[in-house]
Amino acid sequence: MTEDSLVDPLVTETAHRLLSEICDHESIQAAEATGQAPEIWNAFAETGFPWISIDEDAGGSGGSLLDALEVLRLVGYHAAPIPAAETGILGGWLLANSSQELPDGITTVVPNGRENVTGSVSGDEVTVTGRALRVPWARVAERIVVPLSIEDQTVIASIDSAQCAIEPMTNMAGEPRDTVTFENVQVPLAIAAPGIDLEAFRFRGALSRAALMAGAIEKMSQLTVSYTNDRVQFGRPVAKFQAVQQHLVWGAQDAALARMVAETAAREAARGTAQFEIAAAKLVANQAAARATKACHQAHGAMGMTQEYPLHHLSRRLWSWRKEYGSDAEWSSWLGKIAVAQGADQLYPLVTGGSAVLN
Amino acid sequence: MNDLTEEQIRTELALILDRRSADTRLSTMGAGSDDLDEGRRYLANTVRDGWHVPTWPREHGGQDASAHQNSLIGRVLREFVVPDLYPFAIGLGMVGPALLQHGTEVQQRDWLKPIASGEAIWCQMFSEPEAGSDLANVALTAQQDGDEWILGGQKTWTSRAMWADWAICLARTDPTQPKHKGLTMFAIPMSLSGVEIRPLMQMNRDAHFSEVFVDGARISDQCRIGDVGEGWRVAMTVLAHERAGGGSRGGGDGNARGLKLPSWVADLQVLVGEQSSDWRNKVAAIYARDTTSRWTAQRAGDEARSTGSPGPAGSGAKLRTVNSYKSRSYLANRTAGAHGMLEDGHGYIETLTAPSMSIRGGTDEIQRNILGERVLGLPGEPRLDRDVSWSESRRGLI
Ligand SMILES: Cc1cc2nc3c(=O)[nH]c(=O)nc-3n(C[C@H](O)[C@H](O)[C@H](O)COP(=O)(O)OP(=O)(O)OC[C@H]3O[C@@H](n4cnc5c(N)ncnc54)[C@H](O)[C@@H]3O)c2cc1C
Repeated sequence: MTEDSLVDPLVTETAHRLLSEICDHESIQAAEATGQAPEIWNAFAETGFPWISIDEDAGGSGGSLLDALEVLRLVGYHAAPIPAAETGILGGWLLANSSQELPDGITTVVPNGRENVTGSVSGDEVTVTGRALRVPWARVAERIVVPLSIEDQTVIASIDSAQCAIEPMTNMAGEPRDTVTFENVQVPLAIAAPGIDLEAFRFRGALSRAALMAGAIEKMSQLTVSYTNDRVQFGRPVAKFQAVQQHLVWGAQDAALARMVAETAAREAARGTAQFEIAAAKLVANQAAARATKACHQAHGAMGMTQEYPLHHLSRRLWSWRKEYGSDAEWSSWLGKIAVAQGADQLYPLVTGGSAVLN
Repeated sequence: MNDLTEEQIRTELALILDRRSADTRLSTMGAGSDDLDEGRRYLANTVRDGWHVPTWPREHGGQDASAHQNSLIGRVLREFVVPDLYPFAIGLGMVGPALLQHGTEVQQRDWLKPIASGEAIWCQMFSEPEAGSDLANVALTAQQDGDEWILGGQKTWTSRAMWADWAICLARTDPTQPKHKGLTMFAIPMSLSGVEIRPLMQMNRDAHFSEVFVDGARISDQCRIGDVGEGWRVAMTVLAHERAGGGSRGGGDGNARGLKLPSWVADLQVLVGEQSSDWRNKVAAIYARDTTSRWTAQRAGDEARSTGSPGPAGSGAKLRTVNSYKSRSYLANRTAGAHGMLEDGHGYIETLTAPSMSIRGGTDEIQRNILGERVLGLPGEPRLDRDVSWSESRRGLI
């Protein structure tokens, strides 16, 4: 393995320590009530974590994409209610790759600009119009990034959030997924670097969600093992019942699986396009999330249903992330089409070689 | 009274109820609605001629209906608008039948009619922090003092506690007996001094289940249901009705005559653009399972009525109903796509409620244990504490 195929252990350690300190049950509950978590965000941003993998020249924190995804995995693990992916490897990445300034505050990005938001170019400006749905944390963002495909170019519009109308909406996890309306908002024209287009953005979004999900499933599995070992019914810990052990095994298997695919995709993405691995990672993470949330909730009994116990911070995030940047059906059919196009003879090489075979 | 024909029942019901149209939707039990009035109006309306609980005696709000007549009424009732009766379900479906079996004449006279008319809401104070699946481990005590009982302890997950006028409460009256033997069942007024309710919020933002703290609450011996030490037997009656009840309501809103699409499919059709064969397969599988499940529940229900008490078949019904609810919720939410994750998305509340369905009323694992032991005759689970006094097993002496 080369240097850049490894995560910097210091990143794991410091991010884990920081997030354990700043994300406790109360602060996550409070964020849900208000739709924001300024204290968590400020402490997290102060370390430069959101901007890892963006060059220092471009205003980022440096470091590799692997490091950035490791931080996202830990954000998922701690159910941190912050727009880490949006500010960094999604929005920040689009800005840096169109030579635009990174704001000091929160950046978010329109996930589905394609259908609902359009842009038109005149001179050195682009005018953006439309209504974007499910924009993460728009209400607290300083800038809203809109990737647009205009003629043969990918235009990255960086919009001051004060120039948009923002209606609050929340996802299952109680995190903001706002509706943002752009009414002829004019911003300077910025063209994305070669290779950065809407498709690449969509894959990057899926990669971010796979990392978050791997972390959340792992934490959920650990929580369930420890709860069922403490919880006594019929004179013994419920973890001693084989029916409960089956749930625990599903949780642990899915945690291992999701982490493995997320890390494989991350490693490949640090090297090249990695479309095949990312598609597979998001699909596998989606399915793992569905199984593991069922198993872990069932093993917890009523305790897992209450807001006072932390399981729902993880399960509700997983149900939401599962739906972002590609559902099971979308990635299954994408993978299916690729496999069919490669033909029978190439199936095994595709499975073992992944994106390298496609390129 | 002679049994009415299906057509006669329909004519009678049409006088007091509105017919259900194809786009009438069922709400999710208890989640998201605090409206007690609609259910109250419906029950007040149907109680006069005993339409909602037909098998109950006429003087208690029923119509002394036979088992056969009762299932016919149930079937015809599906054609009419019946509101969400979640707030009233413990009284109607569990306490009522248990009182008919174990209650005194005075208890039946005082308590049944207000249940049938929607006047009184009951809740179920069984579970405790240390007594979930292991229900016989309840620790809330009742001590006799003359012809009164003094209660102390804590219950948890008590759904509907904040609405309830009464609770049916399982208490320990003799800690020196083995755990199943020292229990007694009581009815307690929720307004009693010494009863305090602390609502808990569920992950679907439903705040209808609570912790209930009981400290020195006094009730008269008239509130005891069944004999002293017979609490477990009464509890089993209540739970059997809970499970079987869940079953007979099963199948969601499948159309009575089986011709039109059930409304949940109709709703999903609006959402899906392209109906993949995978999607169609899932819909058809749920529909087929629901239909057979309804028939099975009807058969088990008729059987239960002829023997007077539902047996372990209720556990099978509960498993199927839960499975159907979960499948429909997840399919609806999946069909809604990314929008399904939003608060106003299709299947949002159901997806957040679904995990609780296989827990409340006895977990899936416990239902399967019951089926294994009582229907299939498999060897029972090892029960080390069966013959040991509760206070000893509690101290970990075994
Ligand atoms: C929404 C909701 C509403 C409720 N409303 C009420 C109410 O109104 N009144 C009331 O009294 N209670 C109520 N309950 C409580 C409910 O009855 C209990 O949650 C249920 O009995 C399970 O107990 P528990 O939650 O303590 O889980 P536990 O008993 O702790 O179970 C944890 C896990 O261990 C498994 N397990 C336990 N024992 C065994 C075994 N022997 N074999 C195999 N697996 C086992 C369980 O299946 C579960 O997966 C409600 C619960 C919920 C979720």
